[in-house]
Amino acid sequence: MSRPYSLRRRLVWLLTGSVAAIWLLSALVVYQRAHHEADELLDDQLTQVADTLLAIVAAGEVEHFAKELQDHSHHNPVPIAFEVWHDDDGRMLRLATSMGHAGFESGIGPGFSERQYEGARWRFYAVQDPDAEYRVVVGQAHAAREGLAREIGLSLLIPAALALPLMALAVWWGIGRNLRPVDTVAHQVGALDVQALTPLDESPALPEEIAPLRTALNALIRRVNEAFENERRFTADAAHELRTPLAALKVQTQVALRAQTADSQQHALAQVIVGVDRMTHLVEQLLTLARVDPATQGSPPAPLDPAEIVATVCEELLPQAQRQGQTLTVDAAAGCRIAITAAWLQVAVRNLLDNAVHYAGEGARIDVHIAHRETGCAITVADDGPGVAPALRSQLSARFVRGEVENEGCGLGLSIVARIAALSHAQLELGDGLPRADGGHGFAATLHFSAPAAPT
Amino acid sequence: MRILLVEDDRLLGDGLQAGLTQAGYAVDWLRDGEAAVTALSTESFAAVVLDLGLPKRDGLSVLQWLRGRHDATPVLILTARDQLEDKVRGLDLGADDYVLKPFDLDEITARLRALVRRAHGRPEPVLAVGEIELNPAARSVTRGGQAVELTPREFDLLHLLLENTDRVLTRRTLEEQLYTWNEAVDSNALEVHIHHLRKKLGNDLIRTVRGVGYMVPAGATP
Repeated sequence: MSRPYSLRRRLVWLLTGSVAAIWLLSALVVYQRAHHEADELLDDQLTQVADTLLAIVAAGEVEHFAKELQDHSHHNPVPIAFEVWHDDDGRMLRLATSMGHAGFESGIGPGFSERQYEGARWRFYAVQDPDAEYRVVVGQAHAAREGLAREIGLSLLIPAALALPLMALAVWWGIGRNLRPVDTVAHQVGALDVQALTPLDESPALPEEIAPLRTALNALIRRVNEAFENERRFTADAAHELRTPLAALKVQTQVALRAQTADSQQHALAQVIVGVDRMTHLVEQLLTLARVDPATQGSPPAPLDPAEIVATVCEELLPQAQRQGQTLTVDAAAGCRIAITAAWLQVAVRNLLDNAVHYAGEGARIDVHIAHRETGCAITVADDGPGVAPALRSQLSARFVRGEVENEGCGLGLSIVARIAALSHAQLELGDGLPRADGGHGFAATLHFSAPAAPT
Repeated sequence: MRILLVEDDRLLGDGLQAGLTQAGYAVDWLRDGEAAVTALSTESFAAVVLDLGLPKRDGLSVLQWLRGRHDATPVLILTARDQLEDKVRGLDLGADDYVLKPFDLDEITARLRALVRRAHGRPEPVLAVGEIELNPAARSVTRGGQAVELTPREFDLLHLLLENTDRVLTRRTLEEQLYTWNEAVDSNALEVHIHHLRKKLGNDLIRTVRGVGYMVPAGATP
């Protein structure tokens, strides 16, 4: 048995884990998007500042502007550093710089560029006027952009991190609540009485995921009950079948003991013999029924040709049939193969033929057929006797059920055949037999065997 | 005393018929429920011995039918089913007693005697009128303490008359109760038996009611 696991714990882990992963992923994407947007925004800012500075210096306002800017920067530090250069006949002079500025490295090319400055990454933008007289370089620490992007990313992650435990709790609670019907079913099953299995109450509505469980359980309970009922009926019937002849034996024996005349004593004693014979037959049939058990079969039987077994059984019963003026014909198609234990086939055929000999009546015709059918072989025992009403046929293979004729059978013959058929993957069909002179039909029992699997 | 036996098993039915006949009953044996219903609707029996598992009509159904027409004939059920619910059901449907197969013949006859006695509202097992005493269990009759020898038929006739004191029993009723269907009855057999009984037990016990039948007054003093 594998280790039990909690569906609830698994689902909580799975759900919170995947939600956390999705959030983390989206935060990463947002961070990158934000970074990109910040880049664009701040690059725009850089170019604007640079262009403005260039315009100012080109208008010759640079000294005034530089002073204003310095004054202003005292109060409001600007996150952008700049340098303004002037080409004085080939010599580059630094006209102005931003506050607290140590001076950029030389050689910063036009347009955007990135390089180390004062131990951090910076982004620069350089521009000059068309006459190459003035040159403006603006720069900004990269950290500013990352800070902005990180802030946006975190603004997404922090609420998620807070919400995640809440979500886990909600999932935990929700699953517990929704799995309660399973508990209900478990309780119902736990409360079942083994002695009187009743199907589970189907009135409490169950979610469609769990309802099939209850339906399947109820189907099982019904099947178990049926099997129980069968066994119970068998026990009751067996009690009846065993006790009635015993009662008869006892009564007949007492009658014999008290008989006043030799005639009545002889009669009673003869009845005792009949009773013992009947009991013997019943006990033998019961033992046969018990022996027809898959456990005694061992390995699957090898396919055999039924013709020989059928012939043997017919030989056994022929004298009895002839005593009653019955004609017995056998018609065996060659080359039939049936996968069945030989002893079982013999019992089945003997019971069918025995029934025919017993119940077809004096002078009846009895035909035994072995024939090829599409699906396999079929063995039929048919007679032109009184037959059996179709309504009664279906009950005949039940244990201890007899036909409506006056007879002393024990009612187990066809049950044994039916059991052998079930264990040998064959079908027992009870139907109309041979036509009678009066237009009616006798009785026929056919065993349809399926073709044995090809040897592998 | 005439009994209807309904039992489908040939061997047991044969044995019971023989055994009950030995015990002095006139036994009619039928083998299916339908026949039992027909017999019970036309004739009267002192008791019915009824098997439950019967062809054509189940024993319990016969019992239900019988009680449904307010027929109080005592019914003794024979059954192989020993489940409590089966017994309860049988008794609830109006059975008077219940015997489980296999049983002893003596048990059946004793129970039948008790059933017949109770059916006549009589608690004591011995019937007595004046100095005549009849013991159904021992099948013996005494007159003033002296044993009187009776033939089985004379005993049954006396038994019937004593069981129904102060009631006039018609010839037909008496014949029905004394003889089974299988027995040929001489037209004057009854008069012969009555004559013998009067000779053995005195003339004052049994009165002839002209054109009707016979009766024993409860206060007769033979």
